[in-house]
Amino acid sequence: MAATPSPARQFSRRSVLRGGLGALAASAAGVPLLSACGGNSSGGDAKEMSFWNFYGPSDDQGPQSKWFVDTVAEWNKNNDVKVKLRYIPGKDYLNGTTLQTAFQSGQGPDIFLISPGDFLRYYNGGVLQDLGSALSEESKKDYLPGLLEARSVDGKVYGLPMEIEPLALYYSEAAFESAGLSEADLPKTWDQTLAVAQKLTNSKRYGVMFETLPGYYQNFTWYPFLWQGDGNAIKDGKAAFDSPAAVQALQFWGETIKNKVAPRKALGDGGGDVVSNLGSGAAAMQQSGIWAVADLRAKAKNFKYGIIPHPTPDGGKPATDLGGWAFVANSKGKNPEAAAKFIAWALGSTDAAGVERQRQWNTVVKTNVPPRKSVQEAADAKGAFGEGVLKKFVSEIAPTGKPEPRFPPEVYQPIADAIQACQLNAADPAKAAADAAEKIDTFLKTYQGAPIS
Amino acid sequence: MVTTTAPPSEPRARVRALPKAGMTRKRREALAAYAFLAPDTLGLLIFVAIPMVLAFGVAFFKVDGFGNYQYVGLANYKLMAGDDQLWASLKVTATYVVTFVPIAFVVSFALAMLVRNHFKGIGWVRSAFFLPNVVSLVVVGLIWQFLLVDKRGALSKILAPLGLGDVSFLGTPSLALGTYVVISVWFLMGYQMLVFLAGLKDVPKELEDAAAIDGAGPWQRFRYVIWPLLRPTSFFVVVNSTIGAVTGLQAFDLVFVLTKGGPARATSTVVLYIYEQAFTFNNMGYAAALTTVVVAILVVCTALMFGFTRGGRFDED
Repeated sequence: MAATPSPARQFSRRSVLRGGLGALAASAAGVPLLSACGGNSSGGDAKEMSFWNFYGPSDDQGPQSKWFVDTVAEWNKNNDVKVKLRYIPGKDYLNGTTLQTAFQSGQGPDIFLISPGDFLRYYNGGVLQDLGSALSEESKKDYLPGLLEARSVDGKVYGLPMEIEPLALYYSEAAFESAGLSEADLPKTWDQTLAVAQKLTNSKRYGVMFETLPGYYQNFTWYPFLWQGDGNAIKDGKAAFDSPAAVQALQFWGETIKNKVAPRKALGDGGGDVVSNLGSGAAAMQQSGIWAVADLRAKAKNFKYGIIPHPTPDGGKPATDLGGWAFVANSKGKNPEAAAKFIAWALGSTDAAGVERQRQWNTVVKTNVPPRKSVQEAADAKGAFGEGVLKKFVSEIAPTGKPEPRFPPEVYQPIADAIQACQLNAADPAKAAADAAEKIDTFLKTYQGAPIS
Repeated sequence: MVTTTAPPSEPRARVRALPKAGMTRKRREALAAYAFLAPDTLGLLIFVAIPMVLAFGVAFFKVDGFGNYQYVGLANYKLMAGDDQLWASLKVTATYVVTFVPIAFVVSFALAMLVRNHFKGIGWVRSAFFLPNVVSLVVVGLIWQFLLVDKRGALSKILAPLGLGDVSFLGTPSLALGTYVVISVWFLMGYQMLVFLAGLKDVPKELEDAAAIDGAGPWQRFRYVIWPLLRPTSFFVVVNSTIGAVTGLQAFDLVFVLTKGGPARATSTVVLYIYEQAFTFNNMGYAAALTTVVVAILVVCTALMFGFTRGGRFDED
């Protein structure tokens, strides 16, 4: 690049910045190098804490943004140590570099949101604060089984989930009617799914749709199919991906493409965007999460749809993946103790105001399954899950779920490659599963962090 | 510049007689030159040169993403040999370079020849060709995604009568990289066309006229007059677009928006892979090491091109 003639400046300068990521990495890395790791002192007692999130205060000032702003305002009114929100747009937060570069340079936020896929990376990086001292026993018991365990290491809780987002298969009533099908034809097995999808596919519509874009989200949506056959990526600390369950799940997704009943590319924001795909008529059945209920309510009010649990393989059991982000505190932040207290208060309070705050978040400004029993009861009392799809999500689908695995990238990536290869490149599922298992195994042999599963 | 700024009637001695703060004219000119160059030089130094040097340093460390550095010597470089994904992504980038560079060259050169001579509405035509270049690549990606989507995109509708309505240009591994070449050619052809136009402007009209008088036809005029005189421009375009194809915006932004490296890693360019290593795997040291290798490959390629073509002058002295 240095040898570029000067008129190439238009490219070279930007390309070094954008393309030569070492430059980015280095500039991020350069700060602590030059400032001798300043700002990384732990256990401070500063009077202001930063809270990075992708909800608020956003420009649209929608209800979700308002919940964050109001919650923080409520805390600030009654506490000396104030919380200051910093909004980072979802795309930057999820796929960008903001959080990573901040932590690398010792300037990470005091409180932030974390997905299960990132939990171990941050835990192993030594930046997650134990929330235990701030959390009452009553509060811990209020969480549904497994949710705190998924965010704990050695019995210590490091993150509080704000929501549960199970996955299901959405279907369009109009598409079924136009294909001469009725509710009785809704698929219960994988074979039925392929057969029904065939009938629903025409020149403008695909019968069924799964995510095709590689990434965390695709893995998240595929795990239920693995679990249905009692498979897993890791069992007892060893790679277990090379299993009949993984092979059949990889094969099933591949067949939807091979039979041309599922698209290779989704519309809008991808496979989870129900409004752009199912709602537009591009797909007749689509796998997505509970958030789609709120999306459809807001953007396609008159669209008629239903949901069914994921169809199962022969001899398989129902399964879904319980996604959901959590609040975590930075143990190297300016005031980790106060940050932990804030999180326990915002999400875990068991008093009436705390339950109401959670009810608002889970069933008024968003459509989630509440992660706490008392909140579910309060929401039930208000009729949030009285009927329709939400009732089905809460009573039928969520109970079959497992929390989203906290696989680090070294485990997630080989699985992602196997899914992509079998789904879109007609690879042999048995070989793909074996390759992935081998890579996971190699990683596990040298892995020294917290238990993965 | 020197002579025109000085009034012709002023004797030279007078200039010398009135030295401003003891500086000669030459000195002042030099100072002005440095002052003009300084902002750009500083920008390059701070945003390019220093980060490059730092990246080279970081490459010798294991960097965990949380501010911890552990010196590991050449370990990051040794990792590369067994990294299948790296080699696969280098192959993707190489395939992209050897298809994109020649196609973009031919298309933009043809466009430049097409809009070289003045005709009515030439400004509009040139602007139209250049227009894609001023649009953000993210927007470009979104538009093409819309055009190319399975069954419902504009292209699918055109191809439907041929029975190709459900071809997924971005979702099929064997087609995705080619599609991405087409989109990047469309995006960059206007810029390269302008470079060629500038080069064509420097070809003296008299030479062409003389050749025509000597009986040279259009092809011979092109082959023996225009083409040789355009070599430095062509050389610049090739070097520039090779570098752009490896590390430019289209190698990252476009892929990130369109396919995220998929389907099945068919568009996982080396730059995208470096990004994954840095920001998904938190292997910032390894990512830095990879960057130095990519820079080294580019420097070697560029040096070879310079060497073989004598800086684009080929057989000239």
